[in-house]
Amino acid sequence: MARMKFLCDAERCIECNGCVTACKNENEVPWGVNRRRVVTINDGVVGAEKSISVACMHCSDAPCMAVCPVDCFYKTEDGVVLHDKDLCIGCGYCFYACPFGAPQFPQAGAFGLRGKMDKCTFCAGGPEADRTEAEFKKYGRNRLAEGKLPACAEMCSTKALLGGDGDVIADIYRERVLRRGKGSEVWGWGTAYGPGKAGAQPPAGGKS
Amino acid sequence: MLLTRKASEQAVPQSRLARGLSGVLAKTMDRRAFLRRSGITLGAGAAAAQLPFSMIGEAQAQAKGAGKMEVKRTVCTHCSVGCAIDAVVENGVWIRQEPVFDSPLNLGAHCAKGASVREHGITHDSHRLKTPMKLEGGKWVKVSWDQAYTDIANKLTSIRKESGPDALMIIGSSKHNNEQSYLLCKWARLWGTNNTDHQARICHSTTVAGIANTWGYGAMTNSYNDEQNSKCLLFFGSNAAEAHPVSMLHTLHAKENGAKVIVADPRYTRTAAKADKFVRVRSGSDVAFLFGLLYHVFKNGWEDKKYIHDRVYGMDKVKAEVMAKYTPAEVEAITGVGEKEMYETAKMLSDNRPGFIIWAMGQTQHTNGNAIVRASAILMLALGNVGRPGGGANIYRGHDNVQGATDIGPNPDSLPGYYGIAPGSFAHWARVWNIDLDWLKKQYASDAMMTKPGITVSRWYDAIVEKNENIDQDHNLRAVLFWGHAPNSQSRGLDMLEAMKKLELMVVIDPYPSATAAMMAMAKKEGCYLLPAATQFECAGSVTASNRSIQWREKVIEPLFESRNDHMIMYQLAQKLGFADQLVGKRGDKHNIKLVKGKGGMDEPSMEDTLREVNAGTWTIGYTGQTPERLKAHMRNMHVFDVKSLRAKGGKDAETGYDLTGDYFGLPWPCFGTAAIKHPGSPNLYDTSRHVMDGGGNFRANFGVEKDGENLLAEDGSHSKGAEITTGYPEFDHVLLKKLGWWDELTEAERAEAEGKNWKTDLSGGIQRVAMKHGCHPFGNAKARAVVWNFPDGIPLHREPLYSPKPELVAKWPTHADQKVRWRLPVLFKSVQDKSIADKDYEKFPLILTSGRLVEYEGGGEETRSNPWLAELMQDNFVELNPKTAADRGVRHGEYVWVSTPSGAKIKVKALVTERVGADHVFIPFHFSGWWQGQDMLGYYPEGAAPIVRGEAVNTATTYGYDIVTMMQETKTTLCQVAKA
Amino acid sequence: MRRVALGAAVIAALFAVGCGEQAQVTVYKQGKYQGKPDTQAWNNASPAAELRGSAWNKGDRGSWETAINQRALGQNEDIRIYKQ
Repeated sequence: MARMKFLCDAERCIECNGCVTACKNENEVPWGVNRRRVVTINDGVVGAEKSISVACMHCSDAPCMAVCPVDCFYKTEDGVVLHDKDLCIGCGYCFYACPFGAPQFPQAGAFGLRGKMDKCTFCAGGPEADRTEAEFKKYGRNRLAEGKLPACAEMCSTKALLGGDGDVIADIYRERVLRRGKGSEVWGWGTAYGPGKAGAQPPAGGKS
Repeated sequence: MLLTRKASEQAVPQSRLARGLSGVLAKTMDRRAFLRRSGITLGAGAAAAQLPFSMIGEAQAQAKGAGKMEVKRTVCTHCSVGCAIDAVVENGVWIRQEPVFDSPLNLGAHCAKGASVREHGITHDSHRLKTPMKLEGGKWVKVSWDQAYTDIANKLTSIRKESGPDALMIIGSSKHNNEQSYLLCKWARLWGTNNTDHQARICHSTTVAGIANTWGYGAMTNSYNDEQNSKCLLFFGSNAAEAHPVSMLHTLHAKENGAKVIVADPRYTRTAAKADKFVRVRSGSDVAFLFGLLYHVFKNGWEDKKYIHDRVYGMDKVKAEVMAKYTPAEVEAITGVGEKEMYETAKMLSDNRPGFIIWAMGQTQHTNGNAIVRASAILMLALGNVGRPGGGANIYRGHDNVQGATDIGPNPDSLPGYYGIAPGSFAHWARVWNIDLDWLKKQYASDAMMTKPGITVSRWYDAIVEKNENIDQDHNLRAVLFWGHAPNSQSRGLDMLEAMKKLELMVVIDPYPSATAAMMAMAKKEGCYLLPAATQFECAGSVTASNRSIQWREKVIEPLFESRNDHMIMYQLAQKLGFADQLVGKRGDKHNIKLVKGKGGMDEPSMEDTLREVNAGTWTIGYTGQTPERLKAHMRNMHVFDVKSLRAKGGKDAETGYDLTGDYFGLPWPCFGTAAIKHPGSPNLYDTSRHVMDGGGNFRANFGVEKDGENLLAEDGSHSKGAEITTGYPEFDHVLLKKLGWWDELTEAERAEAEGKNWKTDLSGGIQRVAMKHGCHPFGNAKARAVVWNFPDGIPLHREPLYSPKPELVAKWPTHADQKVRWRLPVLFKSVQDKSIADKDYEKFPLILTSGRLVEYEGGGEETRSNPWLAELMQDNFVELNPKTAADRGVRHGEYVWVSTPSGAKIKVKALVTERVGADHVFIPFHFSGWWQGQDMLGYYPEGAAPIVRGEAVNTATTYGYDIVTMMQETKTTLCQVAKA
Repeated sequence: MRRVALGAAVIAALFAVGCGEQAQVTVYKQGKYQGKPDTQAWNNASPAAELRGSAWNKGDRGSWETAINQRALGQNEDIRIYKQ
């Protein structure tokens, strides 16, 4: 099994924010904490507008994990990056390090003190007993332990946001790209594998 | 468009980083990021109430250990796509919400609203109306239900005695389920008035009137799903990406399979961002655009001549007018679209058939909305697109049940099933309702009032203040029930507030107080009651999606707080007012609608029995076959229905043994005949490629058999598959059946009932059964009308909006003459337009103001703006300004501006500078309320029941203007000026 | 000295965000997760049917992965449209 990944199909994303509220609903994320957001590029520019849903990318070599001074991050065997809020000191260093802005800090207190870092968990909860109230209160829902996938991906209005085993969702995406003939340039496949027609064979030994 | 990384562009969008680095405004900051930043202080308040320090999550009240868990299947209440939801309930608390991948309509997908419906079941920090309230001395005080009922009933009774039943208007709801809307329609008639209406008036009333008069029924011809079978989708007047997001799943899937998507709109909407072709059109120039396309179709001979010959009346007359009046130069002057673009669009439509034209409010909300929608229909008829899979008029309805409420709910000019308010219809329904027709007649002020269409919701407030001699009823309105409707979706807010000052009794029945409560508290010190109704998740019932499929909702939770279900309130008020027995059809030893125990052991009408009564009487549109049993079986077995055709290939319901084979999902109406004949429903209307018992059809014979010597019935050889009559034929009645020699095929019981009746009034269903047995359509086989001679403009005509920026076009294409009375009130057209020109409004208010939807909110918005998960996403009302418009006024992105209109109102909103709108248009979403011309109305709401996000209602400032046929308001096009605040 | 200060700082921070947590003595090992252990998803029993999840054999990673990958197909509308 490959790692758990997200992939947002920019050709399909209509910025409906279904993923955002699905996450809010499922994890009861409070106001001000945006585990997932939709980002729109060239908003309103004719012919150029594109939207992408962004949350934690669960990086293979996660910068947040690398910089955390108290080492509160860990990675599950599926590649989901999680952290222990009991250890988190709210320093915000992971926030500096993350290129996607995944770490969120709930506002609390009169002076806007930073609370514990909160971020997308791939709906895999955290280091409390699975599917308990304690885990839910701190980390949100553990859908993986229920045999489900993240709420955002499962509820996406146009099936733009895909989430699950990297191989499986890459297959879904690849079939779409082949059918419509475009879309993969957003994710740099043209840069990585060279310009060419959709459906061109990858370099020998390379994964498609 | 390929997105390649340019050296000057950032790979990572600015908005996220800018949020962390204060003060840096990215060049392409998107609307949501920009607005979210302003909500920090707002959020702190909400957050403080919700959270334990620094942790997330306010976990639901969950019992320790395993509680009793159940799953209830329901349907989202926010739009007409009808996304199914599995609600997980534990010990009566709604704890989880899961997607239903099996649903053939939405395949598990949701938009922001659908993904957040569980919030309706959260009692902590809820902004719902929790108890009945009364306005006393300008303050909201809690009262008991009994006290409220007594006060209201006493006041209504005395008003009735003094001024007659027409002094009350019952404004009902498109968010009621079918059974509730049906009961409310009945309730109004039992009270004795036709003054009842609902959101369809301000939504698709022009569509229903225009399209029904074109070819038979005024509903979506196909379905969202059927777009997958289409080659071309023209969105003209629809922003589906924000208004019907999940429908885009079907649209984009179709696009990826090669369908062309064209979006014509004044704005570059999020739907346009997914289009193959975007055409910018001036708001209000719709007929010219559509006929401009038709010009090229005719000029190049692209029309489907055989189709027109067989199935359309009057196209030659339309062609003559189109070629004469809507030349490319003229069209460019009106719409702003050049000849080349019009030609290319027309060519794309013609080269890619079958195709759809798709519209929503963009086409309907104009003074000539009835003409615009007909022009759309004519365009599709000319291309031969109507009545086949993959083609037609895909009309996107708005609310979750606006289709059902339009079909069988509270309408001022019809009884359930579009039976007009004529003596014959009342006789029919009195039979079905099991009430005494004479008693019903006496409830009305007079026979004349009984058959006169009532006041429309778009003008309810005019009926309060208009001079009595100008109103077509004895007394002005003195009382209004605002039942599941918002006030900020009607135009002319200033006038509405003035009228509220003169209203004697306002009763708001809603899960939320709604802006009505706040406006009444601003207007008066007493005379307003608020009754907390429960949402559609707190009761069961059926709901009709835009594609006419009917889904059954299970009750998720009991009504929260002190709220009661709408049908319980209807019954209880009817008890106080003396027609409770009639409401449930209890007379003699027959009792149509049994009473079941609802909340607190109180009686309420059974939803299943109500649907059965609907089945018994609604023969016109085929609501007869959709029994509760069949619908529930469909909901339990969604996985057997094919997505592209909506058909069940097989399957047997485990619970009841019902065989689903051949059924179309939700038995989309018309599902003719009784459930016994197992008609499968009609997924695509007028589809001649199928047998009528297979869901096929043809255009309806509703307009006579001939006109001026021309045949109105279908030509020889044009008929639905397998029809034994291969020519056109009129509607079926007992006379026709006898003439054909089919009368003896009726059973004895059917013959007894059907004698002297037609297919609409025969309660046995025998006429329909026998006609369909021979492959014939009960409603006849006729041509569609391109010329609707009973409308003011038989052939659609471009008419400038009342408030137009172009005086030279107003001179050439003026609006209608003033009307002395329509729907009981005088309506002005020409005098308003002339005054606007004389006052030089086009100079003082040089920008075209158009309004529309956002994906985060729905309708008037009080419900969705009370949901923190949605409210956080859109915290301020705004006006979209083109960079030139903003620069000319010295307005910066994010600053407050005043938007003023010729109505005299001005509203304060934030400026969103974007290229989405052209330099001559501005856009304001209509979902906001709670501010009044710059002032927060928070103090006027009952405590704890104001929405989290409040803002100016664009309709405070919108101007006078009504469609001549239906009184639809002209909210899509008016004029405004913008100035720095 | 620094380690003690760091540990103390961590403890102090933990106290500050108290919430009744038990103080933990953290021995700082660079680059190694210092927090509570977590259970892998497949080491749970399948949830009740009402929760609408999947079913697998507890402890059997392969059966959980199969169930999850089957579930992921719900995000591929082609399956529901063409194959179901």
